[in-house]
Amino acid sequence: MLKVVVRRLLVMPFLLLGIVTATFLLAQFTKGNPLVSIIGARNLDNAEVVAAAKARWGLDRSVPERYAIYVWNLAHGDLGTSFRTKQPVLKDLAQRLPATLELVICAMIVGAAGGIALAIVSAEFKNSLADHVARLVALMGSCLPVFWLGLIALFLFSVQTRLLPGPGRLDIRAVAPPVTTGFMLVDTLLAGNVAGFIDAARHLVLPSLVLGWSVMGIVARMVRASMLDVLGQDYITMARAKGAGRLRVLVHHALANALIPALTILGFTFAYLITGSVLVETIFSWPGIGSYAVEAARSLDYPAITGVTIIGGLGFLVANLLTDVAYAAADPRMREAT
Amino acid sequence: MLMGPTTHRDVRPRPRLAGAIGGFFARLGWRQVPVMFAAVVLVALVLVALTIPLWTPYDPIGLAGRRLQPPSAAHWLGTDALGRDVLVRTLFGARYSLPIAAVVLVVAVGIGVTLGALAGFLGGIVDNVLMRLADITLAFPPVLLAMAIAASLGPGLVNTALALIIVWWPIYARLMRAQVLNVKKLDHVDAAIVGGVTPARLLTHHIMPLCWSPIFVNMTMDVGQVILLAAGLSFIGLGAQPPTPEWGQMIAEGASNFYCWWIALGPGMAIFLVSLSSNFLGDGLRDVADPRTRQGG
Amino acid sequence: MARRSRLAPSRSFATSLATSFAASLLASVFFLPLDVRSAPAADGPLVVARAMDVNSLDPARAYCDTCQIYLSAVYATLLTLAPDNQTIIPMLTKSWEVSPDVTTFTFHLDPAATFSDGSPVTAQDVKWSLERLKNIKGGPAYLMDSLKSIEAKDPATVVITTQTPNSEFLGILAAPYTGIINAKLASANGANANADAATSDASDTWFLAHSAGAGPFVLESYTADDSLRLARNDTYWGKKAGVPGVVLKQTADAVTQAQMLQSGTADIAMQIDPDTAKTVSAPDATFTSVPSFNFVYAAISPAAKGAPVPLTSDVRQAIALALDYKGAIDFTVGGEGKEQSSAIPNGYPGTKDLPAPVTNVEKAKELLAKAGHPDGFAMELEFPAMNVYGVDLSLLAQKVQQDLGKVGIKLSLKPVPFTVWISDINDPGTPFALGFFAPDYFGSAQYVQYFGMLPDMPWANRAGVGKEPGLDGKEQLALYHKALAATDVPAQEAAYRDLALKMIDDKIILPLVSPNLILAYRNDVSGVRYSACCNLPLGEIEKK
Repeated sequence: MLKVVVRRLLVMPFLLLGIVTATFLLAQFTKGNPLVSIIGARNLDNAEVVAAAKARWGLDRSVPERYAIYVWNLAHGDLGTSFRTKQPVLKDLAQRLPATLELVICAMIVGAAGGIALAIVSAEFKNSLADHVARLVALMGSCLPVFWLGLIALFLFSVQTRLLPGPGRLDIRAVAPPVTTGFMLVDTLLAGNVAGFIDAARHLVLPSLVLGWSVMGIVARMVRASMLDVLGQDYITMARAKGAGRLRVLVHHALANALIPALTILGFTFAYLITGSVLVETIFSWPGIGSYAVEAARSLDYPAITGVTIIGGLGFLVANLLTDVAYAAADPRMREAT
Repeated sequence: MLMGPTTHRDVRPRPRLAGAIGGFFARLGWRQVPVMFAAVVLVALVLVALTIPLWTPYDPIGLAGRRLQPPSAAHWLGTDALGRDVLVRTLFGARYSLPIAAVVLVVAVGIGVTLGALAGFLGGIVDNVLMRLADITLAFPPVLLAMAIAASLGPGLVNTALALIIVWWPIYARLMRAQVLNVKKLDHVDAAIVGGVTPARLLTHHIMPLCWSPIFVNMTMDVGQVILLAAGLSFIGLGAQPPTPEWGQMIAEGASNFYCWWIALGPGMAIFLVSLSSNFLGDGLRDVADPRTRQGG
Repeated sequence: MARRSRLAPSRSFATSLATSFAASLLASVFFLPLDVRSAPAADGPLVVARAMDVNSLDPARAYCDTCQIYLSAVYATLLTLAPDNQTIIPMLTKSWEVSPDVTTFTFHLDPAATFSDGSPVTAQDVKWSLERLKNIKGGPAYLMDSLKSIEAKDPATVVITTQTPNSEFLGILAAPYTGIINAKLASANGANANADAATSDASDTWFLAHSAGAGPFVLESYTADDSLRLARNDTYWGKKAGVPGVVLKQTADAVTQAQMLQSGTADIAMQIDPDTAKTVSAPDATFTSVPSFNFVYAAISPAAKGAPVPLTSDVRQAIALALDYKGAIDFTVGGEGKEQSSAIPNGYPGTKDLPAPVTNVEKAKELLAKAGHPDGFAMELEFPAMNVYGVDLSLLAQKVQQDLGKVGIKLSLKPVPFTVWISDINDPGTPFALGFFAPDYFGSAQYVQYFGMLPDMPWANRAGVGKEPGLDGKEQLALYHKALAATDVPAQEAAYRDLALKMIDDKIILPLVSPNLILAYRNDVSGVRYSACCNLPLGEIEKK
């Protein structure tokens, strides 16, 4: 097991280098002018201004040179400076990552809790109407475009009924808690700001429900399948025969065992959530990595684009690794096998 | 996840209410309902996509009536900010979204299956190189990769398709490789080797025919995913561009006229229905392809 | 293969605990009473919902609409523009003189003026700030193109000379980009005004977190893509701001801005399009539609590669006549806009009583036939896929497509990202394109420079001045010099009017829509106005 982890960790820098190289190559095909975001459109006609900006932002160097410089800086933990925000990309990412993680984690909880609950219903009433309804509900989340769902949710819950706040992480007028972790829920509590905590939680509800629903389908499908598998085993029949309560059997025996295979989809879900978060963040004005990526792509902010792909790729690799570790830890056979 | 045939038989009593409602469908066969629904939706959409220019009441990119009108008898799903008929545009949208999904999947599967089969069959350095390439591609979260590609090559349907192909091929390469590795172990392959067939023929005639069914199941399920991601890219402005009646693009237009909810309704429902159908059909196909799951899941 | 139950009950207990915790958390959040948030009333900051396009917060580098708002709130300028959007009035300067040849400008600073750290605004600060603006070679550097020298005669007197007569220099000095910076403070943090400042000045990042101006506000904090927070400058030397602070909140689209205004989350929104303004119901908010100086235009570039037929004067006239200008305004902004005759916006010097654009499909067809294209031709229209000033450019492009279709010109639309559009119009050039423009200061010269057919000016190069018949550039250049050397307002107006008429005849730039600006604000907010120099003067806003 440890060997696998070490091997994976050793491969990671090479995968990252691959990502950087690929992103750099992609940038070579780029049409459009990144200088727009640096100096503004009007000055593209001003040769002097253009030359000054190119020199300052290193765009006057050749591609191999820029690549070499980037990789060298990357090795020293420097991801460059964003053309658009004029801040170090690393700082930008550090500022936005907690917002995305907070959203993704909440969405994962929603997705997992909802998916498992629906799967229990499905498995218990297999092939009945309830099963089909539960599967449909779970599936709907992953079939509805999240960006449309987000709009509808905002319209219903924020604009029409005003049950929940609109976009953003916190009431705009509220004083944001000092940043310690960057997680609004944690920071407000650390600052002893209960009203702030509730406000932050209320802001999280809609985006995390929308995002969470989009992974419910995968979770439910997986858990249902493995629960049915487990429910068919002899020991369940035994437990039932012994007169164990229905719910008890379901939760204690079937669900607990069914969760292990469900772990394998964690990494897979992560990719889904990142995809979804890009769109959900755009709609909910969530100042996270996703909306940063969209803006970076729009303005051809290469350092930011590369930075985001590196963080995204890293996140994906780590999620995969954690999944495997968790899976192996939960399943002794895996531990032996690897 | 299933390691062997399950022996579980459903002996529990069905809940009464569900049983009563489900009686009719039970006779029809509950399993068939989603598949039939999916088949009807997809066949209808394909027919519409093929024939709509012949019978459309309005031009999808021309003026059809007053702008921003709610649904009415003349415009069943209302009109958009340019006075175009939303329903007509939604139906025309099938002419973009469905071919994109088809092209992306066919090409991605073509590339993925070829490389995956070679990797699994030849092993060694070929396997290593191809699979590391797949790893790197997979390590990009799909949407970020697609965004980077769209940003680099410029937005548009063709580049969207290209981006999605790059996103999707490694998935099929991995799937195919795993299948080939499994099938290689089977007895009849050994028999064929002993029989002296050439390696190329061994791969194409003895191994690959046994590998296809999970590929097909995945392809079916991915139709919805491709359409969703393509629409997402259009939504953030990196995919299809106006006035193309692409569904994601239309929802983006609807988002900027938020209070006219009907503009996004048509394309939203279209994406939903296609995506749902592709999932239903995929489930159905999997049941056919893999009899072990017929009872379980 | 049988599986045994391997898991201790505690694990499933934990699972269900976590599930029920999450559920109850969600439930509590959902059903909590709405007024749990302490509603900050009058003492809270003013919230402006805005799609921000900030590229820098350094006056010498910033160049965007939001920058205008920010800079004018934080940095005081020598002069400013009165609410009539025409008269130049004093700010840091108490009085000034202009030499008869319009090249020497003498300013006497207000002795009361101080920076937010309490130090006085001196002539040295003025010299440093304006020289830096020139030497950084950033976005607004072109404002100082005509600058020859600046002399700090004594701490309260500045003499600026320009290379050529410049009757617009006073207007330029009212632009927020010319805001005066606390030279000592900024220098201590990496800023400099040397000739090589473009590469040696590294204060960009410092300006993202600090301000060094003499305006009614100071920068509190800035988070890109989220918010720009200002606090009242309590030591301000003029009339103190009416609100304790301002939050410019990143709000990407008009709809969300409207929603925030509706719910009271925002106090002011300036980018709500007329369609949304009409459909939203917000009794607590006021929506006023005011004419703006922004406009959207179509541009014909005869010199561009890929023109399907020679875009001669006749063809250009035909295109201009085929366009339905009134219809375009109805279509894109629901009638909330004005026609604009020339590339100089309505209300700027020289635009009084210009002939309005004419639609005449029959005449357009005649001209096309005369030019040898009785059946029209096919052409591409390239435009940035954006929504600017409430105008959805792709909507407008589709309208233009419909209009030109009536005279047989078949347009294919080519929407591209802005970054692509901006590089395409220069190389390889676009025969037919849509563009947009907003003023940087009050004065018509910026329009002549950008749109006029003068040698070596942006659109003149694209159109082929000096190469295309009828576009020699000499006549307009002479008029331009005349306008800049004008010593009084009527002479200046007359020169710009002549220029505007020439530019109309060229039919290179065809202004389509000058959309109205919807100023939307909560009813308890007062003092909201649209300024030609500063966009939204935050210092004047009060909140009950």
